[in-house]
Amino acid sequence: MYNRASADPDGKPWSERKRYLWWDADKQTWTGPDKPDFSPDTPPDKTPDWTKAPLYGMDAHDGKSPFMMSADGKAWLFVPSGLKDGPLPTHYEPVESPVKNPMYAQQDSPVAKKWERDDNLYHPVGDPRYPYIMTTYRLTEHHSGGIPTRMVATTAELQPEGFAEIPPELAREKGISTLDWVTISTARGVIETKALVTERLRPFEIDGRRIYQIGMPWHFGWKGYATGDIANVLSAVVGDPNTTIHEGKAFTCDLRKGRLSPTTAPGNERS
Amino acid sequence: MLSFRCLCILALQATPTPILPGPIPHESELTANARIEPGQAFGFFTDTTLCIGCKACEVACKEWNRLPADGFELTGQSYDNTGALSSTTWRHVAFVEQISTDGGERATTMQPFQSNWLMMSDVCKHCERAGCLDACPTGALFKTEFQTVVVQQDICNGCGYCVPACPFGVIELEVLADGRAHKCTLCYDRMKGGFEPACAKACPTNSIQFGNLTDLQERAARRVLDLQRQGVASAYLYGAPNPSPEPALRVPKPGVPDLSGRLPGDAPGSTGGIGDLHAFFLLTDRPEVYNLPTAPTLPASRVGPGLRRGLATLAGLAAAAALTFIIGGRD
Repeated sequence: MYNRASADPDGKPWSERKRYLWWDADKQTWTGPDKPDFSPDTPPDKTPDWTKAPLYGMDAHDGKSPFMMSADGKAWLFVPSGLKDGPLPTHYEPVESPVKNPMYAQQDSPVAKKWERDDNLYHPVGDPRYPYIMTTYRLTEHHSGGIPTRMVATTAELQPEGFAEIPPELAREKGISTLDWVTISTARGVIETKALVTERLRPFEIDGRRIYQIGMPWHFGWKGYATGDIANVLSAVVGDPNTTIHEGKAFTCDLRKGRLSPTTAPGNERS
Repeated sequence: MLSFRCLCILALQATPTPILPGPIPHESELTANARIEPGQAFGFFTDTTLCIGCKACEVACKEWNRLPADGFELTGQSYDNTGALSSTTWRHVAFVEQISTDGGERATTMQPFQSNWLMMSDVCKHCERAGCLDACPTGALFKTEFQTVVVQQDICNGCGYCVPACPFGVIELEVLADGRAHKCTLCYDRMKGGFEPACAKACPTNSIQFGNLTDLQERAARRVLDLQRQGVASAYLYGAPNPSPEPALRVPKPGVPDLSGRLPGDAPGSTGGIGDLHAFFLLTDRPEVYNLPTAPTLPASRVGPGLRRGLATLAGLAAAAALTFIIGGRD
């Protein structure tokens, strides 16, 4: 925890070993390696002066409140306003999922932003054509969109090619070994990449079924030293209700051994 | 009216004195809490339980030492696409995936402080008694005033004797450009200027710590005991005296508290007369798992016995020949 949250309501560090910011009563100021994100002379026992109401911004916060971005300076579990999918968190399946929502009849978020069109088709729940879960993530070796590091030789060599991580059980089923070419497809697109078979990906047992997950890093492309097909060719355009960030962490796909053929991806073939 | 040139001069004069007029003297005191002074031993303590596998050390090393990128091939060995230390790679982060237990079953628990995905940033060990130094016929390899081992490329003749003499497979000849031996210098040039080595400075988790060797060994011993107390019974030091888990054995010496309770050199990695490694490691599995030798030896220690054996063989054969001549020679 950082800033005001690293100290208790009285301004003392929660942990002496990890102290980051604390109230110095002698000097009447906050001190420590962190810079306060509020006025440094705010004593922990400050109460807002409501005689001067209306108060705006942090004038309305008391000295114990660590979250300067919210109206009352507190973190909220119950969010009565502001969130489109509030007031409490709950579980919905991703828009594409191999299973029915085990908690509610409502399968996925009723307020997710969807743009279902011919070039952005969504897979139905449990679609047998796309039986695997795909998740995507960033690599530490990639900065920002990957371009700054894939274009620099000494960082590009650390992750020199795109790959998909596949659990060993699925790899055995499909006869795939590490560094084999694999083709991954969704209703949106099809790509080819190298296989990295790893036990870090574990099969899920859901509702008596074994379901496999495949992982693919973002941020490859065909410029620079480190190249590879692009995970976003596969993902669906579905927006988070609040931020419209697209749902790239969980969707469904198909996997086969081998490279793309010119017929499956016109204009996409490579030697 | 002032000319553009006059304006420029005025602007320059108005520029306040820069806050940092040059390198900060003894910067290492600020960044590593260690003042670099000749005559003391310096080194690295690499705590693998803190490594997150970001490879910032590899990049910082290559950037500072102007080492070229040396391969754009996916190895398929977890996230390690570097492979090994070489003449152009002086830091190498090894990735060891240990998800399966011995029975082929997948582990359902993880060790505290370390997932079953082990990561270790390997480097030249800067041995107390270095095999490469023993083997070098030109004096290109030398022990610096910081007790580190450095190659002077302007003296190296590229004979390559140092390469098999290194018990850890660190030093290598550069075949494409100059044909000479290259390896980690523990940033000799930076240390001369009071800076900590590039890899240690870049490490975001303090997995790589630079400092005075005695300080580092003490810190490391404390860390091992800490980890053991917190349930990581497998933690031990490779290349430095290990702390005894028995508190009674940890008798403080006057001045420096001695946490080891064991003799210097009494650790995996500092065997066979090599002595303490000036770049040593905290590991949580057997050394071989990290591709480190359990009991390395100095090649020089095999010269004497080898020579003796050779001479004995020679003498034996001579005696046998003489005997044959005496017994069977008359017919």
